[in-house]
Amino acid sequence: MTYEVKIPLEVRGLCKNYPAFRLDEVSFRLVPGSITGFIGRNGAGKTTTINSMLSFVKPDAGEVRFFGLEAGEHEAEIKEKIGFVSAGMTYYTRKKLKAITEVTKTFYPAWNDTAYRKWLGAFGLDEEKTPAELSNGMKIKYALALALSHGAELLILDEPTSGLDPVSREELVEVFLKLKDEGKTVFFSTHITSDLEKCADRILFLQNGQLKADDGLDSFREAWRIAECGQEIPAEIRKAARGRCRIREGYTVLLPKEEAPAGAREATLEEIMIHLEKEADEA
Amino acid sequence: MKLLMKEWKLCMHPTGYIMLLCAALILVPGYPYGVTCFYMGLAIYFICLTARENHDAAFTLMLPVSRPEAVKARILLCAGLEVIDLLLIGLFILVKGAAGSMPNPAGLDAGLALLGEGMILFAIYNMIFFPMYYRDINKPGKAFGFAASAMFLWIVLEVAGTYTVPFVRDVLDQPDPRYMSDKALFTLGGLALFLGGTAWSIQTSAKRFGEVDLSL
Repeated sequence: MTYEVKIPLEVRGLCKNYPAFRLDEVSFRLVPGSITGFIGRNGAGKTTTINSMLSFVKPDAGEVRFFGLEAGEHEAEIKEKIGFVSAGMTYYTRKKLKAITEVTKTFYPAWNDTAYRKWLGAFGLDEEKTPAELSNGMKIKYALALALSHGAELLILDEPTSGLDPVSREELVEVFLKLKDEGKTVFFSTHITSDLEKCADRILFLQNGQLKADDGLDSFREAWRIAECGQEIPAEIRKAARGRCRIREGYTVLLPKEEAPAGAREATLEEIMIHLEKEADEA
Repeated sequence: MKLLMKEWKLCMHPTGYIMLLCAALILVPGYPYGVTCFYMGLAIYFICLTARENHDAAFTLMLPVSRPEAVKARILLCAGLEVIDLLLIGLFILVKGAAGSMPNPAGLDAGLALLGEGMILFAIYNMIFFPMYYRDINKPGKAFGFAASAMFLWIVLEVAGTYTVPFVRDVLDQPDPRYMSDKALFTLGGLALFLGGTAWSIQTSAKRFGEVDLSL
């Protein structure tokens, strides 16, 4: 694959050192027109990765390319093609949405007012309101409306569904699927893996600053099985067992599919993540 | 220009306008008039504080602009407010002169030299506040503490100078139009310091802001 096909994002060997944490040689690339879930527990390095990609923090090593363009050298050109939405950030809480939009649109030559009106209507947003008057879900939708109206082809979302009720999360998942249908690429960090089960094509799993998995959602899930055990883990699977979680009847363990006993069931994304984290904790 | 408009429309704090009214303190008899510039410094601090609370840096840096451009726009907005403040101070000096100015026992008289003094005060503020602020935009209070202290120290020196330093006491602190050429030179020096100091502040702040990791 060459850059001519416009890989929306390619990260190579990204490193960032903090006194108590190291983002270690993270590398991946996104497939155009897909939804990629970026999972890992709190503190795994998801936000550090995103902040490094967006130059909010300076990586110690590594290369980030958006649409084939080196991030540091083509900052303005790249930012015209991407949108960033973070659940934790609310901009200008006391300004009307109208005022924020009026300022924002001046920076984008490709701003499309018709598209903006369309997204406002689709999301049920009232421009006369301030961000302080919006629910968390509506704030994210407003940020999405801005990004989509300036023609963003890649949407980077940092924990967009955190703190939302199940109905709002479902609505957002539907929005992401709609964006995918329109050919947009979505990069979506979360620790609420059930949202990804509904919409993601690929999964990146980050653990303690290291990328442990970069796979299609189905093949990632297909590679693992869950075995429910009593109080004792049977000897024949003890060696292959990855992580042990307490349940009411005893324990569950994660096993590679080829080593799973008869009766083992398919694993959810959440179960895979939790068991692999348990294994890391036990180690 | 777009960024400057963004700063004005989204980051401007109401105290920026309110503190401009403090230029009217020039009409108060027996007042250390340099303090009027301090109030503008306070407004600039509030602008930066509000920017932090509104996650302005994250919003701005996701626009197709660079970090140095963002720094330049913020400092130019604040310098613009300072210039308006100086113009208003000049206006009130004229009003006070027309009404019959009395000697000021608490520092420089309301005259041409006071404008030069205001420029020096703003230069001091800009050269300390912004480079410190852009080292860590989450701590504008620390930068303000240092910059405001330096301003106050300079105001104290100015007030003391009107009693102890011959050039200040016998030339700068004399009623206009006496010693106008000396006062004009002093004011031009203040202007040069204000322009040069603010330009240095932009350059230094942009360099520092370009190097820091932002915790947004």
